[in-house]
Amino acid sequence: MEPEAALDRRLPLLSQKTLLLGMRILYERLVTLAFVLIALLISALPLQAASFEDALTGFTADSFNDTAQAIAAVTESGDPLAIQVLGALEEARLMFSAAAQKVYFKDKTDKLFDAATGVALATAPSDLNPVRLNNRLRGLLGTALGTLTLMAPNASKRMDAAQSVFKSRNASTLPALDKALAQEKDADVKEAMLEARAAIILNITDATPDEKIAAIAALAERGDNDAMVMLRGLPADAPANVKQAAAAAVNSIQSRLAIWGNIQNLWYGLSLASVLLLAAIGLAITFGVMGVINMAHGEMVMLGAYTTFVIQEFFRSYFPGATDYALIVATPAAFLVAGAFGVAIERGIIRHLYGRPLETLLATWGLSLILQQLVRTVFGPTNRDVGAPSWMSGAFQVGQMSITYNRLWIIVFSMVVFAALLALLRYTSFGLEMRAVTQNRAMASAMGIRTGRVDALTFGLGSGIAGIAGVALAHIDNVSPNLGKAYIIDSFMVVVFGGVGNLWGTLVGALTLGVANKFLEPFAGAVLGKIVILVLIILFIQKRPRGLFALKGRSVEA
Amino acid sequence: MTSLRKLALAGAIGLSSLCASAMVQAQTIKVGILHSLSGTMAISETTLKDVMLMLIEDQNKKGGLLGKKLEAVVVDPASDWPLFAEKARQLIAQDKVSVVFGCWTSVSRKSVLPVFKELNSVLFYPVQYEGEESEKNVFYTGAAPNQQAIPAVDYLMSKDGGEVKRWVLEGTDYVYPRTTNKILEAYLKAKGVKDEDILVNYTPFGFSDWQTQVSAIKKFGSAGKKTAVVSTVNGDANVPFYKELGNQGIKATDIPVVAFSVGEEELAGLDAKPLVGHLAAWNYFQSIKNPANEAFIKEWQAFTKNPKRTTNDPMEAHVIGFKMWVKAVEKAGTVDSDKVIAALPGIEVPNLTGGTSVMLANHHITKPVFIGEIKADGQFDIVWKTSGLVPGDAWSDFLPESKPLEADWVKLNCGNYNTVTKKCGGS
Amino acid sequence: MTTFSTTHPIWGRSGFAFLLSDTGGKILLGLLLAAVILVPILNLLVPASSPFHISTFMVSLFGKYLCYALLALSVDLIWGFAGILSLGHGAFFALGGYAMGMYLMRQIGTRGVYANPTLPDFMVFLNWKELPWTWYGFDMIWFALIMVVVVPGILAFAFGWLAFRSRVTGVYLSIITQALTFALMLAFFRNDMGFGGNNGLTDFKDLLGFNLQTDGMRVTLFVLTAVFLAASYILCRFIVSSRLGRVLIAIRDAESRTRFLGYRVANYQTFVFVISAMLAGIAGALYVPQIGIINPSEFAPANSIEIVIWVAIGGRGTLYGAVLGAILVNYGKSYFTGALPEAWLYMLGALFILVTIFLPKGVVGAWPTLKAKLQERIQSSKPKLEAAQ
Repeated sequence: MEPEAALDRRLPLLSQKTLLLGMRILYERLVTLAFVLIALLISALPLQAASFEDALTGFTADSFNDTAQAIAAVTESGDPLAIQVLGALEEARLMFSAAAQKVYFKDKTDKLFDAATGVALATAPSDLNPVRLNNRLRGLLGTALGTLTLMAPNASKRMDAAQSVFKSRNASTLPALDKALAQEKDADVKEAMLEARAAIILNITDATPDEKIAAIAALAERGDNDAMVMLRGLPADAPANVKQAAAAAVNSIQSRLAIWGNIQNLWYGLSLASVLLLAAIGLAITFGVMGVINMAHGEMVMLGAYTTFVIQEFFRSYFPGATDYALIVATPAAFLVAGAFGVAIERGIIRHLYGRPLETLLATWGLSLILQQLVRTVFGPTNRDVGAPSWMSGAFQVGQMSITYNRLWIIVFSMVVFAALLALLRYTSFGLEMRAVTQNRAMASAMGIRTGRVDALTFGLGSGIAGIAGVALAHIDNVSPNLGKAYIIDSFMVVVFGGVGNLWGTLVGALTLGVANKFLEPFAGAVLGKIVILVLIILFIQKRPRGLFALKGRSVEA
Repeated sequence: MTSLRKLALAGAIGLSSLCASAMVQAQTIKVGILHSLSGTMAISETTLKDVMLMLIEDQNKKGGLLGKKLEAVVVDPASDWPLFAEKARQLIAQDKVSVVFGCWTSVSRKSVLPVFKELNSVLFYPVQYEGEESEKNVFYTGAAPNQQAIPAVDYLMSKDGGEVKRWVLEGTDYVYPRTTNKILEAYLKAKGVKDEDILVNYTPFGFSDWQTQVSAIKKFGSAGKKTAVVSTVNGDANVPFYKELGNQGIKATDIPVVAFSVGEEELAGLDAKPLVGHLAAWNYFQSIKNPANEAFIKEWQAFTKNPKRTTNDPMEAHVIGFKMWVKAVEKAGTVDSDKVIAALPGIEVPNLTGGTSVMLANHHITKPVFIGEIKADGQFDIVWKTSGLVPGDAWSDFLPESKPLEADWVKLNCGNYNTVTKKCGGS
Repeated sequence: MTTFSTTHPIWGRSGFAFLLSDTGGKILLGLLLAAVILVPILNLLVPASSPFHISTFMVSLFGKYLCYALLALSVDLIWGFAGILSLGHGAFFALGGYAMGMYLMRQIGTRGVYANPTLPDFMVFLNWKELPWTWYGFDMIWFALIMVVVVPGILAFAFGWLAFRSRVTGVYLSIITQALTFALMLAFFRNDMGFGGNNGLTDFKDLLGFNLQTDGMRVTLFVLTAVFLAASYILCRFIVSSRLGRVLIAIRDAESRTRFLGYRVANYQTFVFVISAMLAGIAGALYVPQIGIINPSEFAPANSIEIVIWVAIGGRGTLYGAVLGAILVNYGKSYFTGALPEAWLYMLGALFILVTIFLPKGVVGAWPTLKAKLQERIQSSKPKLEAAQ
């Protein structure tokens, strides 16, 4: 342990006044705390209990400043209940009664405990209110909890703690960090703690140049933007060799980040491509295979999204525990609902318009108006909430790139849909009949294929797949009556670009447009990027009037 | 003979009923409601139509106005701007309405403006907008930039707001965000914020793929200084924006986002849990505890027969506007446009947040400004408010061209009086 | 659809002979002439209390319909007679409108709220320091009027020349015209373009020194629109009845065969596409001063699809059918958005579906079949009567 004199010299660097005041006390308390944390169930010293209780009263004032002081005081108190109280505060489970001047916390099952003693309460006071937070307090709380939970039994808690220490770079946490490091077994957590330590070391004046160079190496290893900013922010009076090391580290991070930036763009492009593919693939069937210009295609997507909403609401009301699995029901349901609409549309409208492809455009446009207004009448004009299941929320880190789970699942989902569709066309008798009707209707009919039935089912299939696309889009976009309209033009572009009548063309089209869009966006901006893509498509069609993968043969001209 | 008498009788009855219907017509005061019920803006505007119907029904229960019943005339301009102008003309010239409550987007207001001027009628416009306008026939009950944007930035610069030093101004590419960001940039620079600490970015309407933008925000925010996003992203694009923020793990404690177009209605359409702590600046929140507000919410939920139905800021603006119009008509004793326009400035009505809003001579009103943090249930926790009511400023002091302009319809009878040249422009 | 041109060999005759066989066209021109004479009298001279008075509201409403009718006419020229289905004609309409709008903006001069003599208001408050080059010359009416036809014409030429030479036809052409108008919409939405962004151009004061807000000016614009519609109708009828028109119809019905016969198909298509775009531009230019606003949503692909629907409902390939369709659909829209604000989309949607299924030749095309059926019924009832006797 470093002598206290060293600590005193670090004082001017500290930014938080409250901590500054209690620096020395805190240091002593932290030692105590370590002891306390190991023996969590043993009750604390009476002296500390009293100060802990005093600290708690700060929460009853319903003022952000008092709450801030109370957080600091509770952290300092070292009371074994401190973690629970602060944890409850973070999750809005900390309650207070202004009349009784007392603080309580609820556990996850809504049972009420007295915060000062940890004793469960039978009856709740009448004027119970949650202690309110704002962003500043959430920040303070994160740092406080970070210090307290560095030695928590749960590895992910320790990870969070290490991250929050890294972010705060608070020199006062150094002793606790060192202590936690000595005990840490988990390699990932240990690395995070070492990085946090490096971030602190870099900024304190009394570390030796060697220590600092080691810290720079650790940060260079981390290699992200945060590390780079820290290295750039090195104090001007740092020794020359430290500066040199930092500059070299910044350079290496920069070049690595540039590569990661491109990989990230590629990923974004893939994810946009998967959305485009989902939206367009149904159209590739109705438009590409059947030659029907279905302007109500977007509305099929919308119907799928609303089906997802309805199924999820049903789960929320009747099986709240299983809401995460609503998607398993919603996907086939969306397919069936949109598919049934598709079959009905084909039998009711499209059937009368074969051989007049442009007229199908007009009729389905009218239909799209009706469907939009229908949804508006039934569900209201406002957005509906389709929540992401827990396995689709959040992100994980691959190198310097963060991958969000919902995008990852949508990519996987689109691939599965694509493969399934391909298999359906190639290996089933329905697929065979469908291809036969596409290639030569008269001949197929002569061979005994009921072309009318195949037409209806094909249109239903295309619409059903649009419905499935709606399931995915409900998780990234608005579930509103206007949902479909936003995707219709993009879908047509993908199909036409890829080549009508060819599913592989649609896949390549979606990939090309998605990736190109995302590489253009960073420097051209979202709007200009899109305009450039559209102009390129127009020019491309001049070069290859039938798209990337054109069908060859006599049927093309018909 | 009998048949002739019958005919005469029938004629008399017909005539008298015709007279009666004419009298009934004269006995109602018509109120035009010009909000899109279909198309892209229906999502926001339909609610306002319902509020107006509720307010009119309410007023009729109280005995109407000037001894006459109010009659709502609803039309659907279908989010189609030229259709807005046509419908405005139809309401005023054909249906002979006395006042119109309507419009949401700036372009719809701009589209109907010449019609209101030409036919000299009254429009109440309930949505926050970019300012830079003051017209004789329009009363702006939404917030001007100084009633929303500037207080929000002030809050973020304060200790409680996190002492933000670095700013991302993220907006949809249209006039309201452009102007607001211009004003904010000028304001921030006046407060000593450097150029490199401000990032301005625009995206198109209905933008849905926010991956690149959100990661750019993340990168800009990792420069070691406290960063905040000021979002003027419009309507539809917000849901995917917030979903992406949540997924990429941008927490309010790291980079708070303060929005000017996200209210209770928008949050009802998404899972608010990952967004806890992000902010919005409005002149009204549903969660404000106040007897007037609680009564209003109760009435609204009863009217819409939906106990979960939310209220929002533009709804309150219509409530204030309607009360002001009723008071002005009572004061003037007539619905004649000129007299009502003359009577409106100075009218005071209680708003739903416990204060009293006044119609100013520049046709804007005084409003309190609240900053709310998003709670997990989609409501807002008020973390800050202005000490009093802020008067709406039609012409921003932070834009060089509009600084010398002043709007005063009482003394100067001018919406854009130039205090330097001492002339009323645009005449 | 092609009866009038094949049964009457009209080349070689002189003057307006090509109009003689065109009953629908004669009725249309007659109605337009009546409107040109009667509307000013009934609006300006007949007092408002008289039942014969036409309100200014109606005048401006029908002025708008006639602009749409001209637009529909331009679409019918290419779709009905050359088989080119453009789903982006709104773009040419909007470009013409913007050219006129820019002139009207420059006319405001110092009467803008910031009293800037050269810059329009939206440029002043978005800190533009000088007029962008795209606005040069628009303070002069002759330049603006030339641009009204030249800008859409050049765009149509460039686009058509590329597309038709590469033999992009049918559905592909329709979809890339949609891409074109969509790209233009996005571009015009950008405030950096200097065309007012989403708010577009508004608050016009006067045209050639005459206040736009007066009844006299509204009637003048109405009459002007009617005259232009009549003139354009005659032009279109002339084109489709000429030798050129016959080649176009041949292209529509058998493009490859026409090509093999030695016709330069692309040149014919490009020519008629450019003419059509110019007419659309004129419609836009007449539309803007009457409506008082031009904004990028005019470029919206949905608007362009609607134009095609007007033509389909009226009757494709008849020219006067397009005019009728535009007026019918828009009158219905005006009426139902007021009378049935919550349900009008159902009506409109159902109308589109029913017309395409049951009236494939549109309202106009339905008339001859209806007449034939009636005659058939009369004739079939005759023998029965005789037999009964």
